[in-house]
Formats: sequence, structure tokens, C-alpha cells
Amino acid sequence: MSKKTDSKIKAASKKALDKQKNILEMLKSHGAKIYNDLDKGEFPKFSIPSRSVSNIVYDKKLRQYILGNSSALRSSRNTSQLRSFTQLMWLAFFANRLTNEKKSSTLRDIYYSSQAFEIDFEDQSESDNIIVDLEAVTSRPREDFHIFPEERSSIFGDLNIEYTIPGYEGKSMNLSNHPDGYAIGPSLTTAELVDTSAEIVIAIEKGGLFTRFVEEQVDKKFKSIIINTGGQAPRSTRTLLKRLHDEMNLPVIILTDGDVYGEHIAMVIKSGSANAAHLRELTVPDAKWVGVWATDIEKYKLPTIPMTESDIKRCYDLQKDPRYLDGIWKKELEVFLRLKRKAELEAFSKYGLTNITDKYLPQKLELAKSL
Amino acid sequence: MSSIKEKFNQISPSEFFYRNRDLAGFSNPSRSLYTAVREFVENGLDACDAKGILPDIHLTIKAVDPEKPDPKQYILTVKDNGPGIESKHVPLAFGTVLYGSKFGLKQARGMFGLGATMAILYGQITTNKPVTVKSSTDAKISNEYELLLDIQKNKPVILKHKTKEVARKGLSVSIFLEGDYSKAGSKIRDYVYQTSLITPYASITFDDPKGEKYPYPRMINTMPKPPTIIRPHPYGTDVETIRRMMIESQFEIPTIDDAMIEKVRKDLGLSKKNLSFTAIMEKARKRWKTLSRQVRVVIALMSFLKMDFEKLNKIRIEDLDVPNKKLFYWDFGDSSSKSIDMDPESQYYKQLTNTVQGETLTAFLTKKFQRVGPTTAVKFAEFAKFKPEKRIGTMTNQELAKLSDSLQKFEDFMGPDPSCLAPLGEEPLEKGMRKFFKPDFLTVIQRSASAYSGFPFVVEMGIAYGGEISTRGIKVYRFANRIPLLYDEGSDVVLKVINDIDWSRYKAKGDPPLVIVSHICSTRIPYKTAGKENVADRQEIERELRLAIQFMARKLSVFMNKRGQAEAAKKRANLYAKYVPLIAQFCTELAGKKKEPNFQKLLQEEKPIENE
Ligand SMILES: Nc1ncnc2c1ncn2[C@@H]1O[C@H](COP(=O)(O)OP(=O)(O)OP(=O)(O)O)[C@@H](O)[C@H]1O
Ligand SMILES: [Mg+2]
Repeated sequence: MSKKTDSKIKAASKKALDKQKNILEMLKSHGAKIYNDLDKGEFPKFSIPSRSVSNIVYDKKLRQYILGNSSALRSSRNTSQLRSFTQLMWLAFFANRLTNEKKSSTLRDIYYSSQAFEIDFEDQSESDNIIVDLEAVTSRPREDFHIFPEERSSIFGDLNIEYTIPGYEGKSMNLSNHPDGYAIGPSLTTAELVDTSAEIVIAIEKGGLFTRFVEEQVDKKFKSIIINTGGQAPRSTRTLLKRLHDEMNLPVIILTDGDVYGEHIAMVIKSGSANAAHLRELTVPDAKWVGVWATDIEKYKLPTIPMTESDIKRCYDLQKDPRYLDGIWKKELEVFLRLKRKAELEAFSKYGLTNITDKYLPQKLELAKSL
Repeated sequence: MSSIKEKFNQISPSEFFYRNRDLAGFSNPSRSLYTAVREFVENGLDACDAKGILPDIHLTIKAVDPEKPDPKQYILTVKDNGPGIESKHVPLAFGTVLYGSKFGLKQARGMFGLGATMAILYGQITTNKPVTVKSSTDAKISNEYELLLDIQKNKPVILKHKTKEVARKGLSVSIFLEGDYSKAGSKIRDYVYQTSLITPYASITFDDPKGEKYPYPRMINTMPKPPTIIRPHPYGTDVETIRRMMIESQFEIPTIDDAMIEKVRKDLGLSKKNLSFTAIMEKARKRWKTLSRQVRVVIALMSFLKMDFEKLNKIRIEDLDVPNKKLFYWDFGDSSSKSIDMDPESQYYKQLTNTVQGETLTAFLTKKFQRVGPTTAVKFAEFAKFKPEKRIGTMTNQELAKLSDSLQKFEDFMGPDPSCLAPLGEEPLEKGMRKFFKPDFLTVIQRSASAYSGFPFVVEMGIAYGGEISTRGIKVYRFANRIPLLYDEGSDVVLKVINDIDWSRYKAKGDPPLVIVSHICSTRIPYKTAGKENVADRQEIERELRLAIQFMARKLSVFMNKRGQAEAAKKRANLYAKYVPLIAQFCTELAGKKKEPNFQKLLQEEKPIENE
């Protein structure tokens, strides 16, 4: 390894350490405040940014949804909040342990772990919700507290990484060694991105096409890192996309099915979801959606299937979203509504299995430069 | 006015009621058994109430042949510890219809004077067996009668009469009757149960045909004040009543017999020796002021007859013709009718006309009605456009109708006197209900007396909630003059009022464990039928019921609120006790401390508020 990379790694692991220290500090200060309240004989309370629809606003500068200024007081005196207050306290306590011990856990783990502490969540959606609360109070994504979702998406391409998770610290890996790709989990999201020969990141909605792209060596032909988002991109994947863009200076393009859901998958990668309005490190504002567009359906004479009732309703819903008020976002929605038909990525197979990589992709990559 | 003596009145033949026995609750073996039980138990309670005796009632029903299926013959016996009935009245009280002592205006359970007789009649018709009545008024001798009823003649037939030595006062009636206990049983048990609720000062036991005993011991030892007999209130008296009162008020020409002559002698202070006519008149003039009205009339008659006592003894006054100033009499001596003229200038003539024409209107009103004093009487006369000194006996039929009409319309009479009513009273009702239902919440109210068409009435009610009450929804116990009303509840005014109330407004939502006891007392309960099962809706009664219920419902809702708050506080405290220690545990580790914060203070302050 070169000296340059070596120092880069050192700087990186220092950064990781600092981050961990920061988080622990922050949790401690929250805990101390609660502790003092109790010790004074007062009911502890804290304020939490409101996540109600009325407080979710679109920030044009940041190009994402953010939370407005209204916040709610969570008080342990209020018996209707007492339970969730305690759950959140437990979660902070548990996240503190996870972070301290550098252990990762999943949303589902959290749900089950609670039971050892007489904290009963009715179901996982309740515990998932409390996790979002913790994110909102601390303005940190759950991954910072070593809490990861189950959904795995995957990555393939010439990218060297170095693990930071316990037991693997310093171990490095090239992500083009295994043709099935690498699952994007906690170890990958927290790994240091060392270097890459790639010049672009291609995020693709579907596992089938991901495999095709690997087979067709899209990574080599187009100097790219290929990422399978597995439908709506999980947050770890979005974190990784952001890091590839920010840390490795790689442009990100997105390929989805030619329907309204595909369009929105792209939008979420680009500017987040209203659900995560309380977090700011999950977006890749410069990411580009290159297809499949509604206009491509006509242009490439793709075989189509009719839009369902709910597809159409979704179109109308998105038309109310400020992000869909201009550009291709607006135009494509209109075309979808006009056609009332949609096309999947696989539709290109009508013209041969490699049509999409041979013909469509190069055109789109070219086009992306001007977007 | 207790000076009106209880008297037995015989007012109508029994034939009518034989034909109309359905009306009195004797329609079939099941209902008849129940009605018979009621009639005798109520008579026993009435008798004890009237004399202020704490009642001990023993009810027994036995099957004559237990093996037989229902309907079959039963022997029904009700024994009480009341005052009993004087021997000579027993055959009349139990052997004739409409022979009762309760027609005066005071509250009693019985009112028609036919209950006992109807039950006996029913027994006799279905089994052909006589009734046995044992009565002791002195705790020494018991008169025991076996009677049959002669329905056509409304007369008792005495089969047996004997006397026996006893140690206790009281009366027992025993009849054979066709009944159906398998059907009537639950109703009878309900009746006994509810009667003991509204008569907490009574001890009632019931031995049923299956050998079960249902004892209801006395719950309180104080009797409610016995009601007094009072004069009627002007409101609600019809022309017929006034006519009857008038006849009573007119002083009839007394029969001049030995007893009357003896009375006159005594009043005049005369010894046995005979005095001459003039001497008698002289004596009378001197003593006039002290003489009773009856004696004055006799003296006045003598003044025209000009007879001494000896002669007087041999005649009988036939008629007094005031307009023609003639006096007719029958002379036993020569067995002929004779007449003499009366001198209209004589002061004795005036005495006689006054007697025949009755009292003045104002005197009649003040004496015969409650709530009418001399001033009110004069005001009323003015209102009705009668001369105050108008003689009541000279009124034509039209004038009488006008009088009765005006009595209803005149607005300045004070409300009826409720002293003739016998509500249970708030305390006994509350104690009774508390022992009965063992509720969490209880409130009772006795409204002040009111009146509907001249009949005074009082409403008393109680509401019990929760505790050992196991029924769900609003359970209503209706009573009228301390009688439970079990049948025909659908059409009753109490139910109507309760159903009109929006109970959710008073925090009694869904099917609350709620009991309402309603007791209406009146000298005349407006029953819909002679079966005495449901009360007709009279606006005034409805209003009192509504006010009573609303008053109690407000208290109930206060209780429910408090209870709600207490429950909430308890729940809150429990939640704190569960969660605060956990919060403490977690933040201790989070804050990097060893010792847990002192959160006990917090829990102490939030101790649950005890239920009241
Ligand atoms: N147990 C008793 N003790 C004393 N007197 C009684 C008893 N039972 C009945 N009497 C007398 O006999 C009378 C007739 O009773 P009966 O039941 O026929 O009429 P009532 O009770 O006056 O009216 P109702 O028809 O409403 O019952 C009563 O008024 C009462 O004077
Ligand atoms: Mg009776």
C-alpha cells in the first residue's frame, strides 16, 4: 500500500473514532439531563422536532425535505407519553452500549432486545418508530448508533475498502472480486472508501438487471460501480451512495423501471423521503435519473403494460410534491398520465438480452452529461 | 283530622266484581295465586302500619297434593301480628265486597275494600272451600271463623265460629285456591323480596310449596310515622263527593227514642223525676248555650209539640215541612198521622230551618275541607258568586255543579296537606337500599309533597350504583304506597320518565350496574287498572319523578367523575411506579453514573388517591 493511502487510512480511522466519541458524548449529555431532573424530583422531559406532515417542508437550497421549526415536548409526567418516553430512554441506553462496544444490530434485533429490559414494544413497527424518534432528537441517522435495516442491496465494481468494524479493522477488500456482488451492510457502510478506478456510479432498481450488468461487464466497459438498490433504496445504500459521491467524487446515475414508482425511487436517492425529513445525510442531490422515462417508452417502442388504478393515483399524488413541479420530473409524470401505460427495465429484452447494455445505457450515459 | 272515626261502609254489591274479577287480578291460576298473596300480605302490613306495630308477616303456601301437576289446589295462609279485627266485624270484612275501613283520605295499601274478599271469592269458586279467619284484638281470645260468601246477596255465611285462648294479637287468613306455583313462583318471590325492600321495618318470611324458606329479617326498628286521616282538599272533589258531604253535614232530624230522651235529660241536668212541659222549656232556655245541637233540635221540636217526655215517647217525627211551616208526626196512641203549624216568629222555628237547610256555605267549606279558613271561604264565595251565608241545603243541582266547578278553578287554596301520606322517609329508604344492594354509590331523595287533581302525593326515590349489584343496565323497582309493582311495567309513568333521561349525560353509559327505586305515595294512586300494577301518567307526578331523578343523577355523575378521577390517578401512579425506575436505570448508565438518581420523591408525590 502506498504511503498516501496509508495516511489516508489513518486520517479516516481517526475520523471514525472522533465520530464515535461525539456520539457517545451527545448520548451522555442527554442522559445527564434526565438524571438531574429525576434527582431533583422532577419529571424529566425533552423536546423533539415534530414529524407531523404540517412540519415537513421542502428546502429548495438543500434540495430535500426537512423538518420545520415546530417541536413537541415529551414529558414523562404525561402518562400517555410515559411509555414511549421510557422506550426512547431505553433505546438511547441500548444505542449507547452498541456504539460503545461497536456492535451492530438490526431493527428487528432492537425489537427483541427490548424484551430483556421489561420494555415491551407491541410490534416491530412501534420499535422502528422509537428509532426514528431517536434520530429526530439527535439529528443522527440510526446507522450512527449501529442500527441497520435488514434489507440488503448490493454493490459491484472496482472499489477498495477497509473495514472499521471490530475484528476486521484494517482489513481491506476489492469489491470486484465476487461476481454476485457484495451485500451493503453495516460493515460496508462504515468501511473506509480507499480508492477506485471507476468514474461513475450506476444505481439500478432491480437485482436481475444488476446481474446482467455484471455479466456484461458494465463496470469495466463504462468504468462504473454498479449498485442494486433492490427497489426503494435502503438508507445504508443511500448513505453509501452519498459517500461515493462526496468522498470519491463520483457522479451517480439511476436506472429504474419506466413507471411512477421507478421515478420516485430515483427521487428519494436524489433528495430523500419525507419520512426521513429529520435527517440530512442521506441525499445525493446531484444524482441523475436517466431512465426508463415515460418518453422512452414511445421513443424505444417498448412493450408496455397498463398502469393500475394505484399507479395513476400515485401520479396525481406526486404532482402535489414541490419536487415534481419542474424539469423532467414534471414532464415524465405528465407523459405517464397521458400514456396510462408503463414499461419495465426488462422490456428491452424484446430487442435482445444485451440491448439495454449495448444500446440504451451508452445513450443514457451520454445524455446524463447534459442533464 | 283524626276525629273522623274509622268506620265501615258498605257501598256496592259483589255481583259486579264477580263478573269483573279479571280487573282485580284474578284472571288465571298463576296470576290469581300471586294476587291473593299480595292482598293478604298488604292487608297485614296496612293493619300494622295503622297502629304503629312493627310488622311480622308470615306467608305460607302449601300444595294440597304436592304430587299433582300445576295448576292445582294450594292452601295460602298469611299471618300477622297486627291489631286484628273485632269479632263482629270479621264476617263483614271478609265476607262482603267493598267493605273496608280505608275509604277515608289517608294513604294505605288497600283502597278499594275488595282485595281480601276477591281473593276469598276466587278461592271459594275454584275449590268450594270456606275461608278460615282467626283474629285476636286483645292477645287473649282469638275468634276463629269459617266463612263462605253469598255472592248474590253480598253477605257472609258463617259455617263455624269458635273462640280460643291465644297469647298474641293479630290476624291470620287461610284460603284454599286453585293456583300455579310453577308459573307464579318467581313473581311471588320477587314480590316478597321487593316488599321487604320497601318495608325495611317489617320482618317477612315466606315458606314456599317446595319447602324453601325465604326469610327477610327486619332491617330497621323505627316505624315511619303513621299517616293521619284528613279532610279532602277542594281540588279534586266532584259533585258526587260534595253531595255526599252535604248529606252528612245536614243535621238529620233525630229519632226521639229512649236513648235520645235520656241524653236530653242529662244535658238539661234533670233527674229521673218527670217535669212538666213548661218546666222543661224553662230549664232549656236557661241552659241553651251549653246544649248540643242535637238536644237543641229536640227542644225546638218539643216547643211546637208542647209535649213532656212521657208524651214524646209515644210519637215519631215524620217530616218537617219548612216552607209550609208544618210539623208532621205519627202518634202511636191512636196510630194516626197528625200535623201542627209552626210559628215562624218563634226562635225555635229558626233553629229547625237552619238544621234542615244545613250550614252556611262558608261554614260548610271550613269544616269539611282542608286548607279552607274563614277568610279563604269568604273569598271563595265571592269568586264563585255565592252569598257566603247561603245555606248549603238550599242549593239546586245547577248551583252544586257551579260550586264544584268553582272549587277546581279557585286558585287561592293552599296545596293539599301531605300528613295523610306515609312515605318511607329518606333514612329508612337509604338504609334499606344499602343493606339490600351493598352498592358503591347510593343516594335517595324525598320530594316535598305535591298534588294532582286534589290528591296529595309524595315521590321518593333512590339510586344505587356498583358494588354488589350484579344486574347490568338500569334495573327499576317500582313501588306505590309501599306495594311493589311487578306486572305491566311497560306502560308505567316511572319507566317513561327514566327512559326519557339521557343517562350518558350523567356518566352512566352502556349497561351500568344501576338500580333505581321509585316510591310514589298518594291517598289515591292513579292506577290504570284495579289490578294495581302500573301508574298512569299524570303531569304533576311525571314532573316530580323527573326532578327527583335529575337531582340524583347529578349526584351520580359527580360520583362517577370522582371515581373516574380516582381511577385515573391510581392508574397514573401505577404507570409511574412501573416506568420511572426504568428511566432512572437507563439514564444512570447513559450519564455514566454509578448511583441511581433519587426518584422516590417523585413517586411519593404521585401516590394514588384512595377511592372515597
Ligand atoms: N290483617 C288484617 N288486620 C286487620 N284488619 C284487616 C286485615 N285484613 C283486612 N282487614 C280489614 O278488612 C277490610 C277489608 O279488606 P280488603 O282487603 O277487602 O279491602 P282494603 O284492604 O280496604 O282495600 P283493597 O281492596 O284495596 O285491598 C280492610 O279495610 C281492613 O279494615
Ligand atoms: Mg286489602
